[in-house]
Amino acid sequence: MAGKGGSTPATYSPSPTTDKKKPSLFNEDLARPDGRSFHQCRPAFFRTGAVNAASGSAYAEVGNTKVIVSVFGPRESKKAMMYSDIGRLNCNVSFTTFATPIRGQGSDHKEYSSMLHKALEGAIILETFPKTTVDVFALVLESSGSDLPVVISCASLALADAGIMMYDLVASVSVSCFNKNLVIDPVLEEENGQDGSLMITCMPSRYEITQLTVTGEWSTPKINEGMQLCLDACAKLAKIMRSCLKEAVSDSQE
Amino acid sequence: MVGLSLGETHFIQGGIAQDLRCDGRKRLTYRPISVETGVIPQTNGSARVRMGATDVIASVKAELGKPSLLQPDKGKVSIYVDCSSTAEPAFEGRGGDELAAELSNALQRCLLGGKSGAGAGIDLSSLIVVEGKICWDLYIDGLVVSSDGNLLDALGAAIKAALSNTGIPRVQVAAGTSNDEHPEVDVSDEEFLQFDTSRVPVIVTLTKVGRHYIVDATSEEESQMSSAVSISVNRQGHICGITKRGGVGLDPSIILDMISVAKHVSEQLINKLDSEIASAEAEEES
Repeated sequence: MAGKGGSTPATYSPSPTTDKKKPSLFNEDLARPDGRSFHQCRPAFFRTGAVNAASGSAYAEVGNTKVIVSVFGPRESKKAMMYSDIGRLNCNVSFTTFATPIRGQGSDHKEYSSMLHKALEGAIILETFPKTTVDVFALVLESSGSDLPVVISCASLALADAGIMMYDLVASVSVSCFNKNLVIDPVLEEENGQDGSLMITCMPSRYEITQLTVTGEWSTPKINEGMQLCLDACAKLAKIMRSCLKEAVSDSQE
Repeated sequence: MVGLSLGETHFIQGGIAQDLRCDGRKRLTYRPISVETGVIPQTNGSARVRMGATDVIASVKAELGKPSLLQPDKGKVSIYVDCSSTAEPAFEGRGGDELAAELSNALQRCLLGGKSGAGAGIDLSSLIVVEGKICWDLYIDGLVVSSDGNLLDALGAAIKAALSNTGIPRVQVAAGTSNDEHPEVDVSDEEFLQFDTSRVPVIVTLTKVGRHYIVDATSEEESQMSSAVSISVNRQGHICGITKRGGVGLDPSIILDMISVAKHVSEQLINKLDSEIASAEAEEES
């Protein structure tokens, strides 16, 4: 899919706010490894319908991070589970052995599954499928930084492809903090050396945050700035995701 | 825990809306906190914290190990949480694993800072013995003995108290060893180093019930929550970590409000906790 000729992946970048002071872009030492500016995201490519056997599926590339997500269900819950008035959501995130620069390193991210679950359950209308379960399986094919935000965005596309009713698409972006500079959508090298990180998952149309994690030491104005940066980027990312869904619909009609 | 009836649900939510909770507290008041240190003598440091009916134990064990390749000049800290089935029948077998993993990840996020080591509550450079070869590995274990809500705050407080209680043996490196060989070390039996825990943050969890949020939610109040945000604040007033639980979305302005409230509440909590730890340490020495 990446080899698709002629079509360049869409690029998004948060619009700069006038009152936001940008760090100096002319200092050679502050250049990012891939030449982006501090507040510029990597090119994002989404495609639905990547897996035939699944009810819904999606494939995402953001820079070199590649993720594939399958959705199965709603289907009957296992008998061991108790009766539930609302539907259940089951999430699993795994890495291929070749996803990381060193083979087999991806098994360290056990918490990604529960974080994906928390990010999605606020957006899905669980009351529409009582007593049943929706399974979301995500596989990271290549890990190149900001893996979890890409997984979350791709999973919401896969749920939409499966026809699961949702309040809104879910878009996710993260920011890394270096000393006093904020860097959006970090790559792997930046993530490994970051002083702190902030990840936001939100429903852009409703302007609601469904998941927020912060690590490292932040002052309150810095958190404010980072949150605003992420929310702007999420709104632009959601536009790309919507156009991907519309494109899939128009393709199937032809 | 048996589910609540509709009447109980309305009572709890109505009470919170009127700033009067079931046990008579206001929305931003903690339950009584008591701290004991040195409860497990064979560990390097240990503490027990009770927050109302929530009871947790934290212990610190230090072992000599090898630094990681990414940060050869820093020691290593790991945090694990065990949800014992003595706390709640639902924790039997693997029932508590998911909650334990969630708690330990949240604690690591809040206490260990960014990947570069900046912002960590402990100065990891002080754990180095020989750069690139020998360092102290700290294993912090949290145990949930009794569970009545707000486990994350209690565990955060217990870990802070346990680190205050921790003594690391002084290590002498044998002189004359070649640079290529593994250095010989002499671990002292009598000299101990203590941590500076003034930068270890406390965790404040704000639980949203109805249209208000409360601190130190009990189990019953947690069952009524739509979402909860745990904010880690240190003495300097900086945010050291944020974790959101519960699936319902929150408006960004509400989250910023919660951060302001958490900073305010954490000032009292830090002072209360520091005085409790100091008196517990004094009591242990006597």
